[in-house]
Amino acid sequence: MRNIIDGIEIRAREELFINIHPIQPGGRLTPEAMKAMISYGDGYSTCDWCRKPFRLDKIRRPPIEEFHAELAEFLGMDQARVVPGARRGFQAVVSTLVEKGDSVIVSSLAHYTEFLAVEDAGGVVKEVPLNEANIVTAEATARKIEEVRKETGKLPKLIMIDYFDYMFGNEHDVRGIAKVAKEYEIPFLCNGAYAIGVLPVNGKEIGADFLVGSGHKSFASPAPSGIVATTNEWAEKVFRTTQMVGDVTKRKFGIKEVEMLGCTLMGANLIAMMASFPAVKERVKHWGDEIEKINYFVNEFLKIEGNKVLSEMPRKHTLTKVDTSGSFDRVAQTHKRRGFFLSDELRDRKIIGEFAGATRTWKLNTYGLTWGQIKYLAQAFKDIAKKYGIKVLE
Amino acid sequence: MSEKAVQETFEALFALTDLRQIFRETKPTYELNDEQKKKIKEVIESVRRSLDVIEQELIK
Repeated sequence: MRNIIDGIEIRAREELFINIHPIQPGGRLTPEAMKAMISYGDGYSTCDWCRKPFRLDKIRRPPIEEFHAELAEFLGMDQARVVPGARRGFQAVVSTLVEKGDSVIVSSLAHYTEFLAVEDAGGVVKEVPLNEANIVTAEATARKIEEVRKETGKLPKLIMIDYFDYMFGNEHDVRGIAKVAKEYEIPFLCNGAYAIGVLPVNGKEIGADFLVGSGHKSFASPAPSGIVATTNEWAEKVFRTTQMVGDVTKRKFGIKEVEMLGCTLMGANLIAMMASFPAVKERVKHWGDEIEKINYFVNEFLKIEGNKVLSEMPRKHTLTKVDTSGSFDRVAQTHKRRGFFLSDELRDRKIIGEFAGATRTWKLNTYGLTWGQIKYLAQAFKDIAKKYGIKVLE
Repeated sequence: MSEKAVQETFEALFALTDLRQIFRETKPTYELNDEQKKKIKEVIESVRRSLDVIEQELIK
């Protein structure tokens, strides 16, 4: 494969391999997004028709304003903004609500960027412990709120819980947690980074005050891209416009939103998100097929003696954590390539995306694979097991 | 330099993007069904047509 320039190789792994990387499949571009990247790659490409009031989400050619409205409707929220990644969505909300010393409730499986957003605002994270099935429940969240109140004398300023977490791909009780949040009158941010764009998500149905999504994780969009959506009530605060006046020039930039730092996700990334949107709206209707495929795969995978699935079963998400300590790791202990033998075997079968060298616990994601590819993948693992004398149930 | 040639350049790139998508859907065995074979023929014809226009517009 030729390089684009010296040192930058053509990235053709999606064309050449089955990619089971845990965080890449939902962000794989649609053909429409790839075409948008070709056409809108130049820097300020979205600004050709920027007219008064000079704000990204007000541009109507291409129809960026309409996209924002449709995005909010798609998510069951009143208003939405695009941001450079889910992390910037967390940051916008946390920066608005949290002051120095305030507590923020997060999951024990919270993404690190939730920690950083709280730290950036001077707040303190308080983690809700998991139950025995690695799930965050409403009851545990309520207990944590009471603990915080007892410890600090104040209620937390925000509850921020992942709908599906990045570690196990488990579903957490966001609807129950939203009810708890309402009872305590604490705003609730539902982190839908692994949900929005791959499965149906409706913020109002969940009871969330804020929904945050990731374009590059789950919306068939390039990185960085993300979404923050909210209700009209909270939009006034999080999407507040600047009041600042220059002391010398008396300049004002009244339409610009403070937390968005003015215009947010410009250029090809936004247009690619918009180009993927029709396909995304359609694909979330077929989440059930994706669940059927991952459950088929794990059932086949578990026929290999010693294999375990550490995520909740049956699977409700395509991101899945597995344990192969009792199978492939036993081979690795005496193999000259150690744990890399599994990567070698997978690569020989045109499969990539596993954590290279890992043969104990690791994650995979089957999102977007066809049935043919799923069956090929399952068979490949069974063939590797058989090659090394691991028993496979048939 | 004609607008037509520019338009056809994008058309060709977009058609090849559709081909790229077929690679993605059929990897790693690339066993094609009838519909995919038909689509590939359409892509090839479309790209050829675009190249002919580009050649006609810019060189001949």
